[in-house]
Amino acid sequence: MKNAHALNVGLIGLGRMGRGMAGRILGGGHDLAVYNRTPGKDTDLIKEGALSAPSIAAACEGREVVITMVTDDAALREVTLSAGGVRKSLANGAVHLTMGTHSIACIQQIAAAHAESNQTFAAAPVLGRPDLAANGQLGIVAAGPRQALQKCEPLFQVMGRRTFLAGDRPEHAMAAKLANNFVLGCAIQAMAEGFSLVRKYGVAPQVFYEVMTESLFAAPAYKVYGKIMVDEAYDKVGFTTLLGLKDFNLIMAAAEQARVPLPSGNAFRDRLLSAVAHGDGEKDWAVVAREQSRASGLE
Amino acid sequence: MRVGFIGLGRMGKGMAHRIHGGGHDLAVYDVLPEATAEFGAAGCGVARSVAELCGDREIVITMLAEETAVHEVAFGPSGMCASMPAGAIHMACGTYGVGTIRALESAHAKARQFLVAAPVLGRPDLAAAGQLGMVPAGPDEALRRCEPLFQLMSRRTFYAGPKPESATAIKLANNAVLGCAITAMAEGFSLVRKFGVDPRVLYDVMTEGLFAGAVAYVGYGKTMVEETYDRVGSPVTIGLKDASLIAAAAEIARVPMPSHNVYIERLLGAAAHGDGGLDQAVLAREQARRSGLA
Repeated sequence: MKNAHALNVGLIGLGRMGRGMAGRILGGGHDLAVYNRTPGKDTDLIKEGALSAPSIAAACEGREVVITMVTDDAALREVTLSAGGVRKSLANGAVHLTMGTHSIACIQQIAAAHAESNQTFAAAPVLGRPDLAANGQLGIVAAGPRQALQKCEPLFQVMGRRTFLAGDRPEHAMAAKLANNFVLGCAIQAMAEGFSLVRKYGVAPQVFYEVMTESLFAAPAYKVYGKIMVDEAYDKVGFTTLLGLKDFNLIMAAAEQARVPLPSGNAFRDRLLSAVAHGDGEKDWAVVAREQSRASGLE
Repeated sequence: MRVGFIGLGRMGKGMAHRIHGGGHDLAVYDVLPEATAEFGAAGCGVARSVAELCGDREIVITMLAEETAVHEVAFGPSGMCASMPAGAIHMACGTYGVGTIRALESAHAKARQFLVAAPVLGRPDLAAAGQLGMVPAGPDEALRRCEPLFQLMSRRTFYAGPKPESATAIKLANNAVLGCAITAMAEGFSLVRKFGVDPRVLYDVMTEGLFAGAVAYVGYGKTMVEETYDRVGSPVTIGLKDASLIAAAAEIARVPMPSHNVYIERLLGAAAHGDGGLDQAVLAREQARRSGLA
């Protein structure tokens, strides 16, 4: 269905998140060109009307907004700054919107490069899993020049349940997103410590879970991760320990750059690292509860 | 049942009224006689000493804030252990340490009495409304006898097991998770502030996503955003007292708790800067100081 305010959009990065977001953009009546480094990820999207772009340049040509949704800083630098990258290919007046989670330093570098080319860059990292991406129920933390955010607004509406405006510099969004992940990680670590403590006193973990989630902590973070810990269902992976470690490295780097000591973050990062050292890198990151048990002589 | 109640502070008052309202024969005692007046007026027995209170009671509840107070009330020469009939139950509702619970358990056992630890979750308004959470643990038979009282005082009872210290561990662990949540939020707010982000943005992201519905985040987070630390719910000094019980329980059980250690360290820092009487959300200011922000 065509939309009166339809945008010409490019999307680079068709991982599980990117594919879901692309589906929502198409469903919203926008014109979409997609590109992925590894080909073959766009079959379903082409059926839904997406144009398969053979190169980054082709995904940028004539596009008002180009979204990048790539896994890490190295990938974002490559698709943006390389010879045939977004910076060289972006149409006049177009916006580069990056929606992955990246380091502050990388975002600042990309922002500076676009500024040098008189281009507009915004960041809108997302909160949520692939199923939420496919249903347009992501949380979106957006920051950048006001006009750029206004232009992207119709896209936020089809991808997200709510947009949080974090400021006028792209790094503002990244700082808010990283801080939210930080608070989550610390909650996981605290629960892990709590479960070890009660287990040592002969308590069934389920009872502690109920006390927590029916009093002060009646929230998804505690219900979801607490349940994984009670069931020790670390093989049903939502977010791996290794990815958690990657996120916390970004967070600790941001904290060092801003001169903010994060002692709780240090404690959690150490536990993540120990979990990886014990071979739990590909388990769900709630497996820090097992690491905490090990440290407590319970395993 | 013939119930005794010791410790008529803000929490104890509400709980005692619920028991009396439930039709039980209630007698009360408090070191401050004026605290007992309203109970005398309502037709409850008012004892002038612990020994007088305990003599004919089936269950005696303590709701005391200080560990030293419960030691005095239980172990003194005219204390509960010496005064309660054989077969009677001491229901310990305050938040006491594992060491104290173990000492109470063995002293009551020697006197052929029972100990039930039943720490409570909730504020004075919930206590008055009978809407507390209660986490009881103790011998099955004793728990069964206490059950009608749990129903009067709480909206939900979480049975923790046959050992009283199990209930203590749950209550302390829950407090530990709260302390860590406060500390983590404080760190998160400093991080975003340093990057020029309005703290309210992080608050919104947190409380409308992963932490939606969690009183811990909604409440303490709001106090941090508004910096209204002088509207005190639970002050830093109380946090320190509880944290030392948690640290002791963790040491006894051999459980390293690195996040909780961070919380203690921040509480101490806040107290060192003169913020001991302020709400624990003031840890955000302590964190800001460490980050060169305040």
